[in-house]
Amino acid sequence: MNSDNTAKNTTNYRDHTQAAILNVLEDYQENAVTSSRQSRAILNILEDLETSNKILETKTLQMAEAAETLLQKNAIDTAILESIGDGIIVTDSLGHITFVNRAFEELTGWTAAEVVGDTIQRVLLIENANGIREDFLPDVITAVLDGNHYTSDATKPYFFIRKNGTRFPASSIITPVRLHETVIGLVTSFRNITKEMDIDKAKTEFVSLASHQLRSPLSAINWYTEMLLSGDVGTLTDGQEKYLTEVYKGNQRMITLVNALLNVTRMSLGTFVLEPELVDIISLLQNVIAEQQPEIDKKQLHLSQHFDAAMPTMESDAKLLRMVLQNLVSNAIKYTPDGGNINVCLELDQDKQHMRFTVSDTGCGIPERQHPHIFTRLFRADNVRSKDIEGTGLGLYIVKAIIENSGGRVWFESKENIGSIFHIELPMTSSITT
Amino acid sequence: MNMKSSNQITAKTILVIEDDAALLLAISGKLERNGFTVITARSVETAFTIEFPKTADHLTPTTIESALAHVQALEKVDAIWLDHNLIGEEDGLDFIVKFKANGGIWSTIPIFVVSNSANPDLIKTYAELDIHHYFLKAEHRLEDIITEIKNTLKVRPD
Repeated sequence: MNSDNTAKNTTNYRDHTQAAILNVLEDYQENAVTSSRQSRAILNILEDLETSNKILETKTLQMAEAAETLLQKNAIDTAILESIGDGIIVTDSLGHITFVNRAFEELTGWTAAEVVGDTIQRVLLIENANGIREDFLPDVITAVLDGNHYTSDATKPYFFIRKNGTRFPASSIITPVRLHETVIGLVTSFRNITKEMDIDKAKTEFVSLASHQLRSPLSAINWYTEMLLSGDVGTLTDGQEKYLTEVYKGNQRMITLVNALLNVTRMSLGTFVLEPELVDIISLLQNVIAEQQPEIDKKQLHLSQHFDAAMPTMESDAKLLRMVLQNLVSNAIKYTPDGGNINVCLELDQDKQHMRFTVSDTGCGIPERQHPHIFTRLFRADNVRSKDIEGTGLGLYIVKAIIENSGGRVWFESKENIGSIFHIELPMTSSITT
Repeated sequence: MNMKSSNQITAKTILVIEDDAALLLAISGKLERNGFTVITARSVETAFTIEFPKTADHLTPTTIESALAHVQALEKVDAIWLDHNLIGEEDGLDFIVKFKANGGIWSTIPIFVVSNSANPDLIKTYAELDIHHYFLKAEHRLEDIITEIKNTLKVRPD
């Protein structure tokens, strides 16, 4: 029995051991599979890592390159700013100077180190032509910070004061610095315009001299023919009187032409200065008409006048305004055939801020294709040239220059062989602009 | 100084200072035919006569006699016809400044500037020196200028 039991036990044990071994083997096999999977996964990860690494390396390289390029570009930008021939001052929105260039240093005598961080108002001292100190245009700064541009008026230059107290005339432009639509400061560029002013002065002196030189011989012809025609040195024969009258008229035309040319030169030089005063425009116009009366009578023109009774005196340059009215009225007379109609009208605009002057005629009109050129210097329409009506081609150019410089506007309507209407609109006070 | 007398005893005297000889001849001829006694000069210096050395600002006659003679001569002047550009360094403005610096009757004599300069600044400067009238030479007949002078001096028209 014992041996039977022993055998049974041995078999049991063997079976049990076999099963255990099988289990272990199974586990092992499973583990081996897992481990192989895991190592594959690790390999995969390692591979991925290597790829990422490579990408990262490339990116780092690219970034370094970009940074280098950026630095280079920044250096170039700074070098450009540094090298601009005009003085440059960059300030933040509080007016603190953040950058000045070399031209600034050369023009003002201040170094960048001395002024960066300080305010523009303290560094850039300004005075007007009469030596009166001005604040650094506080209104201008506010306007620029609001996004506007400012350009200094070349006819009234400001003087910038150097570190050493001397001064120079400057023209300047101030513009807002925008970053993503936000104004973060302003940049002022300026230049020394001493040379330009000298040239301008020389030109003005030339015009003044030429005006004198041209008019002197014309005056001599004028006065001597006047005396001959007045019979100061004896009675003239009819023939002599006729010829001398032609000399006199020709000379008058020459004087008119010289005056017109000089006015035009002054205008293109910008040397005509508006001198506003209180003007009674109705009497100014009546005076102009009275002057033209002989011509109106001679051509038997019908002149009607309409004046706004409530027209107050206006602030304007009387001499220039007279030149405008004289040009427009004499044009209407000149270009209207005998027996035609002319109507002049002066009225106050509804807003009472502007006056409007209109002169209409039943004259030869302006050919439509030439409408765009009518205010051009020396331009004369074909129809008046072919009709041999005298003119310089300067009148309307002068009118437009004066009116626009006075803050007004001029326009017209015209049909050939029917007539023309010229309108001007001018502010009643010199501070309003149209 | 060159003085020409008119036939009229009550003639008004006018000092004409103009550098252009042709114009000076025209002006003095026309004025004389209008009954004026005309004294002419073509420079500020001759207008004051060369006998009077000047300091920078005013006349300094060297002797009392010459001073008196000078004042008498100029006191007889009823009006001055003055051009701006004159022979020599000085111009019409210099003349007025020196002339008025003497004060008294000198500052009341009407001055008519007849010049070909239309420079607005210049015209303004003359106006500030209290001249009677500024004529742009080329734009006015001799007769019109003389009529204005006659009206100012209250001379009855011929």
